[in-house]
Amino acid sequence: MNKGKILAGLDVGHVNTKAVIMRGQEILGYCIVPTGFNVVAAAQTALNQTLDKVGISRGELAGIVATGIFKDMIYDVPPLNATKNVLEYVADAKGALFLNKNSRTVIDIGGNVCKVIHYDQNGDVLDVIYNDKCADGLGIFYAAMAKALGLSEQEMSELALKSTNDISIAIQCAVSAESEVVTLMCEGMDVADIANAILKFITERVAAMCTYIPPAKEIVVAGSLAKSKALIKHLSSLMKQDVSALDIPEYVGAIGAVVTSYEG
Amino acid sequence: MIVAGIDIGAVSSKAVILLDRQQYVTSQVRTRMPKESAFSAINAALAKTHLKLEDIHYIVATGCGRAQVPFAHKTISEVACSAAGAVHIWGTTVRTVLDAGGQSCKVIHCTEKGRVTAFLWNDKCAEGIGRSMEVFADLAKKEITEMGNIALEPDQFPKLSDFCVVYARSEALDLIRSKVPLDQVVVAYHHAMAKRISILVTRLGVKKDFVIVGGLAKNPGIVYWLESILKVSDLAPKPEWDPMLTVALGAALFADAFYRRATI
Repeated sequence: MNKGKILAGLDVGHVNTKAVIMRGQEILGYCIVPTGFNVVAAAQTALNQTLDKVGISRGELAGIVATGIFKDMIYDVPPLNATKNVLEYVADAKGALFLNKNSRTVIDIGGNVCKVIHYDQNGDVLDVIYNDKCADGLGIFYAAMAKALGLSEQEMSELALKSTNDISIAIQCAVSAESEVVTLMCEGMDVADIANAILKFITERVAAMCTYIPPAKEIVVAGSLAKSKALIKHLSSLMKQDVSALDIPEYVGAIGAVVTSYEG
Repeated sequence: MIVAGIDIGAVSSKAVILLDRQQYVTSQVRTRMPKESAFSAINAALAKTHLKLEDIHYIVATGCGRAQVPFAHKTISEVACSAAGAVHIWGTTVRTVLDAGGQSCKVIHCTEKGRVTAFLWNDKCAEGIGRSMEVFADLAKKEITEMGNIALEPDQFPKLSDFCVVYARSEALDLIRSKVPLDQVVVAYHHAMAKRISILVTRLGVKKDFVIVGGLAKNPGIVYWLESILKVSDLAPKPEWDPMLTVALGAALFADAFYRRATI
């Protein structure tokens, strides 16, 4: 019913806020900002920056759709007055299908929450699983460890691919994993090997979740960690099947939120 | 006589160059890989003098990366160094030292000479409290130095899980969704971390005088809550002494003693 109209999607996550502006099937622009503790301000910044990029004014938007853990803080609340609220896993399924028509399972590794969603050819959700509490903050853990090694997240992922010595760290919780990383550093281990061990830890934690859901092909990965080639490599090998990263994987939720609105 | 102590911690590396047990120059750098951090710390301290590395008679390394310092003559546990450094700075009345660092917390009993009589190391679930404060500040988009002061303000705040660092952070993020004011979230997190550390301190017991060293000693929120939970006041910070450097100073004092013994 909204076809042709311009809509904005806002995915307000624990760590980052993602905005996307779409016209029908076309993505006009997107932008990501840290959420911080002022959710409304972050959502406004993300939206305004995206509007600037696209070169349109707020008045040209037919509506704003909210998703993400903090969606209730902008839904029907001034100044943003988001007009629609979409559950995160519904948005993820629609967004992943939009970005990859053949996908049926999406693994979304966020800053604080990780979820696996299985859906049909229409993007309707069939099954969802969320991480248990001990695996909260895998994304935050990754960012903190990159900082500890003095690397950007991108550099850490690239370095992990150059690892020659396979080392492992605990697969239980991020607190003990962090302490094992420090131990490895203090033992003078190679940075590439440590980076690889960190990504392997995250992957093992994610793959363990996937065992609860029959992994239906094709499997895609969302969230900014999906940009790590090392993570995709480990995930494919642990799950014994091909897993691929979506394009612009951070924006899956925001895109999906808009897609549900076009569908009415 | 010129000696030096170098403390390769999980988050930062510190060097203290000590001249005749009286004058000192110090430096601190972010720990990357321990070996390179050892060089950057000592070079940063040397740069404030006219000295070269060869001019230093004896060097003691401590901290979790102490084995990776190629130019050290000897390595000593950070527990012994904490006590020695604290007694040197705060005087012979010190009997309990809480060393609250980036990765680990230790509580130490010592004699008037700074000799360790008993100590406890944190358990695994309480690893990385220092680093977690930094991660939390990043999430809030605040400077780490601002956080501790915010934590002093509200009288009322919700209680968080004080067993696991991951749980506490996750619950803190959820408070934002429940529209708990930002400063209350910050104070709740500081309270939870202080509670976690106080469990360790209570297990060994506090003998007066009590002093806190390490990076967390610089966080007024943590110090306030520790004092209020433990119902004990700690010795006030010394002007012009950064408590983070206490362990490196202890190592330098050991270097001094070892060199004297070797040359007499």
